[in-house]
Parts: sequence; structure tokens; C-alpha cells
Amino acid sequence: MIRVRELSKSYTVHTKEPGLWGSVRGLFRRRKVVKEAVRRVSLDVGEGEIVGLVGPNGAGKTTLVKMLAGIIHPTSGDAEVLGFRPWERDNRFRSRIALIMGQKAQLWWDLPAADCFLLLQEIYRIPQSEFATTLDYLSTLLEVREHLTTPIRRLSLGERMKMELIAALLHRPRVVFLDEPTIGLDLSAQRAMRDFLLQYRRDYHPAMILTSHYMEDIERLCERIVIIRDGAFVYDGPLASVVERYADHKVITAHLRKGELPPRPVPALEALARIMECTELLVRVQVARGGVPAAAAALLEHYPVADLAIEEPDIGTIIERIFRERREEAR
Amino acid sequence: MRARLFLQIASVEARRRLSYRADFWITSAAGFLVEFGALYFLWHAMYRNALQVGGWTLDAMVFYQAAVLLLGKLVRGPEFEGVISQDIYEGGLNRYLVYPLGYLRFKYAQHLGSLLPAALQFVLFGGSFLLFLDLPEGSGVTLAGLGMALGAVAVANLLHFLMSFPLQAVAFWADNVWSLTVAMRLITALLGGILVPLALFPGWARDLLAWTPFPHLFAIPAETLLGRIGPAEWARGLLVGLGWCAAFAAAGRAVWRRGDLQYSGVGI
Repeated sequence: MIRVRELSKSYTVHTKEPGLWGSVRGLFRRRKVVKEAVRRVSLDVGEGEIVGLVGPNGAGKTTLVKMLAGIIHPTSGDAEVLGFRPWERDNRFRSRIALIMGQKAQLWWDLPAADCFLLLQEIYRIPQSEFATTLDYLSTLLEVREHLTTPIRRLSLGERMKMELIAALLHRPRVVFLDEPTIGLDLSAQRAMRDFLLQYRRDYHPAMILTSHYMEDIERLCERIVIIRDGAFVYDGPLASVVERYADHKVITAHLRKGELPPRPVPALEALARIMECTELLVRVQVARGGVPAAAAALLEHYPVADLAIEEPDIGTIIERIFRERREEAR
Repeated sequence: MRARLFLQIASVEARRRLSYRADFWITSAAGFLVEFGALYFLWHAMYRNALQVGGWTLDAMVFYQAAVLLLGKLVRGPEFEGVISQDIYEGGLNRYLVYPLGYLRFKYAQHLGSLLPAALQFVLFGGSFLLFLDLPEGSGVTLAGLGMALGAVAVANLLHFLMSFPLQAVAFWADNVWSLTVAMRLITALLGGILVPLALFPGWARDLLAWTPFPHLFAIPAETLLGRIGPAEWARGLLVGLGWCAAFAAAGRAVWRRGDLQYSGVGI
């Protein structure tokens, strides 16, 4: 459904020197810098597949998504989505894709969601019966039926994102691009969003490309992951391999009750985990994935624990580790 | 774009514009009464020692100013001058590029929808003028004249939209095109006949202006409404106005095609 070959995109950016003199000079002369945002990437995504596109800020994820959605033109290379070249913007192509950008509202701020959906029904020429069925399905699954008549600006961020999802999926697209769909949402809204996307995939089998900084999004939704840095792919393969290989540990943070016994590393814990921090207020340890239950039990047994948090290393850490290893391999 | 979709987009925008009641009344008061009040007192001062200026009596001038201000709002619409450049600059264009429709036609439908408050103001204030003030001698507002004037406004509105589009599309290259849109506002106000009737310009300037799109924006619709332009001149004005529309549409298309290749959609 998505076929990308040697796709590249460069931007010309004007830079300005700092300070007042730099601003004055900028009135007469500007320096141009060419930034290669995406460099000769190739990719295939099939029906029903969700591919996670991850990388640090400025890596080129959004640029790639924008090229595949037909928003911007590539500098070189080629791509086909559903048999169309995206940036030619054939209406048959645009009727069958959707783009959800978590950082950018697509709906009309002052209108109730129901009005926006009616307009989208007309834009996508959705027959009334299909529109009613899909809207009912989506709004029930996302639990926002009672908010359909509320102006978008009065909804919470989570409710707004759910409406954005409905708006993007009303026409049952065959390809869905999700750019940071859970950014800024609280944990329960993130979970609801992920559950919904999985259910939607089961029901309609679209190809999806997802970009996210949240490890949880990637883990829950994607079997396959593409890691991008400085515009180039550095990994394209199963998520299971990358997590096993690079995210082989978790971090446990125990917040301690104040005023009780001053903590010190205990041998039972040291045997299980690497102590990262140990103060009067908290103990933080790094532990192998398989050793989490034992390390948590040891913490609870030996320390006056008030609260306990178990965290994955964030995707940035994993990516940094991959890059570090690649650099070392290259030497 | 299908007519039904076009109307629905316009209708959604009209509803959006009317959803702010306070905004409607404040812009009515500030946007028309203050502007008209300032011109009214200015002309009164200028006519203190003269019965006519450039062949215009004070009453005729006051009626012209009222007509050109009210019709001007129907031609320009609210805030349109920055809408497209802002879409380009802030990345709002992204969503329209994903929809299976033409961006420019979508924006024009929205623009027409946004005129509803101005249309209500036209009825409200224009009706009040006709009810409470005597028409100046020699001028006649008739139903036929009103119909002709609205035809001229329709062409002027499209022309203003198409003139503004290539200027705003400069945002594909420049970070800020506010100065261009302000310049357009000032130039069209002066050369289009909002600030003073074009009849007050020297003969050579009037001859020169006749070859430009500016008189078609405000002066011709207002003078048509006041019965100063006959059907033949009106029809010729419409044709020339439509010719300018075609020219600016072609220019806009060329700018858009080049700008589209530059568009970054904001962010990398």
C-alpha cells in the first residue's frame, strides 16, 4: 500500500546572526543553509500493518509523513501510496488517506464536532447511511457521543483528540498517518487512544505509519519499527528485536517515607540491580527486564517505601544506545 | 467543487461568524460608525466655505462615503487579507492539502460565508440611512440600481480576493507578508475610491486609473448604487472587472505552483 524508494527532502533555511547588529545585517544579507531533512529512504508498508517511525526531534519523521500524505514535494526519489504519487494530490488518493497531527488541530475551533463532521461528510461524499454507521461506531468506541454538540474549543485536550480521530477516520481511509497522536494526553486518554487504534485496525485493516516519542505507543501498537536519525533510517525491523536488544532494562524509583530510617544500599538489592541514586527521599535502580519483580520486592522489604514507579527507558535513550553502538561498530 | 459543498462551507463559516454576538455588535459600531463618523466630520469641515467640491455637494459626498464604506465591507470581508498567508506561515494549509478539494475554492467559499455579518450591517445601516436622511438631489437609489450594485459587488469581491491571493502567497518565500497586505489595503482604499471619490482626482489620474483594476473594487459599485453610473457603463465595468479577475487568477495560479514546491508544512 505504501512504497517508498530513495526519497529525499532538503530545505533551504535562512539563518540570522544573534544580536542587534545581526538583525541589521539581516536586512541586507541573509545566509542560506541547506538542511537535508530526509536522505534516500526506502520503505514498504502493507495492508493492516502499523509501522512505528521513531527518532529524536528534527530527525525527519514529520517530513517523511508530510511527503507521504502529499503535503510537501520531495527533492528526489519516488513514492507511491495506494498506487498514487502523493504530492500530485489526486482526489482519488486524498479520499482514501487520513493524517492526524497531534500538535495541530484539524477541526474548526468554534464549531461543534457534529457540524465539522457534516462538512467532512460532504467533502468526502460519504453516503448518509455509511456516515451515520461510522460516526456511531467511532463515537461509541471513543466514548464521546455526548460531546458531539459541544464546540471544539470547550472540549478537553483528550476529547478534542478523540474528535480529531473521528474526523480523520469518518471516510474509512485505507492509509492512516499518525504524527504524535497522543502528545500531551494524560495516561488514561493515551490508553484509550491506543485501544481504539488497535480496534480500528482489527475492523478495517488500514496501513498505518505512526510517529511518537512515547515508548508505550510504539510498544502497544507496532510490530515493526523504523528508527530515523538525521534523515536516514538506521533500523527497520521487528520491534521485539529492538526492545530485547537495546531496552533490556527498566528503572525502578522508590519514593521513601520521610523521617524514617536513613536508606543505604542493601546487599540483597545490589545483587539484583545497579543503584543509580540513593538518598533520604528516594532510591532509584536500574534492573534487567526479567529482574523487575525481585528488585521491586527487595525494595519493599528493605526500605520505607511510600510510592513505587517502574519505567521503561524512553525511546530517546534506546535510540542513543543504538547510535552509540553503530558508531563504535564503525570505528 | 460541487455547488452543494461550496454552499455548505459558506454556511458553516457564516454560522461561525454569527456565533459571537458581542463581536458582531462591536465590529458594527467600531467598523462602520467610527469610520463613517470620522469622514462625516471631515467633509463637513471641508464644505464649510464651499457648496460643492469637485462637482459634489455635501449630501452627495456623505451618501457616497456611507455607500462605499458599507459596500467596501462586502468587497473586502473581515480579516481576509491575512488568512491565506497565515495558513502558509503557520502550517494550517496542511489540512486543506489532505482534503480532496481545491484550497482556493474552499477559501473563497469561506470568504463568502464570512460576509454575512457585513451583509447584515449593510441592510441595518443602509436601511437607516434611507429612512432617516434625504437622498441628495440628482441621485437615485432604486431597486434596479441596488440589483446592479450588488452585481458589481459580486465581481469586486471576487476581484479583491484574487488580487489578494498572489500577494498572500508570497508567504511561501517570505516569513511575514503583513506589510504587503497593509500596502494593498492602503493602495486599494486610495485608488479604489474609499478615501475620496475618484471624481476628485485630476483628469490624467482618472484616465490612468481607468486602465487599472482599482475602480472596479469600490468606486463602481458605490456609484452604481447611487445612480451615478448607467446600465451601459455598468455592464462594461462588469466585463472589464471579470477580465481583471481572469488575469489575477492566472497570476495566482502561477505563484501557487511555484510556492507549493517551497512549502515546508512548518517543522521538520
